[in-house]
Amino acid sequence: MSTIKAGNIKKGIYILYKNLPHYVVKTQFVSPGKGSAFTRVKMRDMRNGSNVEFNFKSHDNVEELDVETKEMQFLYNDGNDIVFMDPRSYEQISVPKHILGDKALMLTAEIKVYLTIYEEQVIGVVLPPKVRMTVANAADAISGDRQTAGKKPVTMESGLIVQAPLFIRTGDTLLIDTETADYVSRVND
Amino acid sequence: MQKNWQKLKSNVNLRERFLLREKIVDSIRLFFKSQHFHEVETPLMTSYPPTDPYFDLFETTLELPNGQTQAAYFYTSPEYSLKKLLAADFGNIFEICKTFRNKESLGGMHNPEFTIMEFYRINANYFDVMADFEKMLFFICQTLQINAKRFVYQSKNYDLTPPYPKFSVAELFSKYLHLSADEFLALKPLKKKAASLNYDLSSLANLSPNLAWEELYNQLFLNEIESQLAQFNQPVLVYDYPAVQATLARKTAADPRFAERFEVYLAGMELGNAFGELIDPVVQKRGLRHDLQVRRQLGKKDQKIDQDFLAALESGLPPCSGMAVGIDRLIMLFADVGDIDDVLLFPASQIFTDAETHS
Repeated sequence: MSTIKAGNIKKGIYILYKNLPHYVVKTQFVSPGKGSAFTRVKMRDMRNGSNVEFNFKSHDNVEELDVETKEMQFLYNDGNDIVFMDPRSYEQISVPKHILGDKALMLTAEIKVYLTIYEEQVIGVVLPPKVRMTVANAADAISGDRQTAGKKPVTMESGLIVQAPLFIRTGDTLLIDTETADYVSRVND
Repeated sequence: MQKNWQKLKSNVNLRERFLLREKIVDSIRLFFKSQHFHEVETPLMTSYPPTDPYFDLFETTLELPNGQTQAAYFYTSPEYSLKKLLAADFGNIFEICKTFRNKESLGGMHNPEFTIMEFYRINANYFDVMADFEKMLFFICQTLQINAKRFVYQSKNYDLTPPYPKFSVAELFSKYLHLSADEFLALKPLKKKAASLNYDLSSLANLSPNLAWEELYNQLFLNEIESQLAQFNQPVLVYDYPAVQATLARKTAADPRFAERFEVYLAGMELGNAFGELIDPVVQKRGLRHDLQVRRQLGKKDQKIDQDFLAALESGLPPCSGMAVGIDRLIMLFADVGDIDDVLLFPASQIFTDAETHS
């Protein structure tokens, strides 16, 4: 554990907030009208998956957590837990679903991920930046309103729904950004 | 990473979003000109920038052919120039211009150069200007043919039909933090409240009491109040700020610890800032000097007071109120995007590519 200034908090690190481990989802510079600068941190409580936001004074002291990472392979999702396996030792670890949040829908067969471990507990799962997934259902486009111009919702094999271009069809393989759950491109094999 | 001009080249649909700026600015011009406001143009550079203690300036040097030099700064707001024109009896005026603030993030809610629209209405108080803002926002909806009653931003519904809810700062501190004005204007009770909420107070130890108060006041406002305002499905107007946070505004008649300033919040975004303008040159001079003193406390570069601005006040300004509206953020709302870079053709983050971005 090391102490850093709140102004140096970066997306992707783990910090202790109210004595609990939190994953930093996003940081933003904030200056309230006429006043000193703050660092707005969006973070995920790793114990229950809930998102919280806090504005730190830029000079506040914050504890950055030293976490351990381990490469594992996705095995199956039993509804409550997601089971991963170490491809070398065949050791299995169950991870509560809430720790993955929406990312649970981006796990594909045998995908390799990194588990984040803090004090012998899994507190996070890091997916590759992009994953390949197959479209399970792409309805014909309905004329879009200003929100969805040029895009339509398509359902992936895992149940994930993404906004994809109108030319995407059922059975296509798409590249999905795991950070934003956004469509990146169609994969032409 | 693709630059916005490249994205525009590969995706024709994006053009519509970027052309919204033109439509919104046209609409704002029409709104004010139809009420006989004059549009004016004032300098972007000066030797005497506004004294706001917390603004970091862009600095350059004016050089004359004979080798003489003078420090030059980019304005953080055209307010001084516009008030000089009010003193010159220009009547109701507005300006749409670039302003500059250093040490802010590239992207997110900020860009170091950004567009503001500043307007002044003479013989008007700050409640009149609140009404102007409400009507302007509604007018933009009408010209863009958007149903103001069912306005969608980032998948949430908002009602932009006036009037908007209005709360004084004192009402908000009482409602969300159970602190009276006597309490939230003093450091000790503010510290006690923050400690009860598990705030880290250690970084305040090195600050003088006035700076520590301001940091804590702002932090509590951001965390405990602004987050609540973001839950409203209408724009919210917050008015009557602590006087130290409104050097260019006049004190409220009811309580001189507060000044006639208001801000507009929508969806957690600060859209504009307005004052019942201070026109008393003596009080104004005192306020500017106090600002400079705070600048020194903060270790920021000393500035000179714009004596020409004080001279304009001396010569007499009509009673007036004025407002600055962040045009880029206004466009973000209508474009339904969460990052200012998505409404700027050339965001600074795509120009200053060696700088590390904050988010």
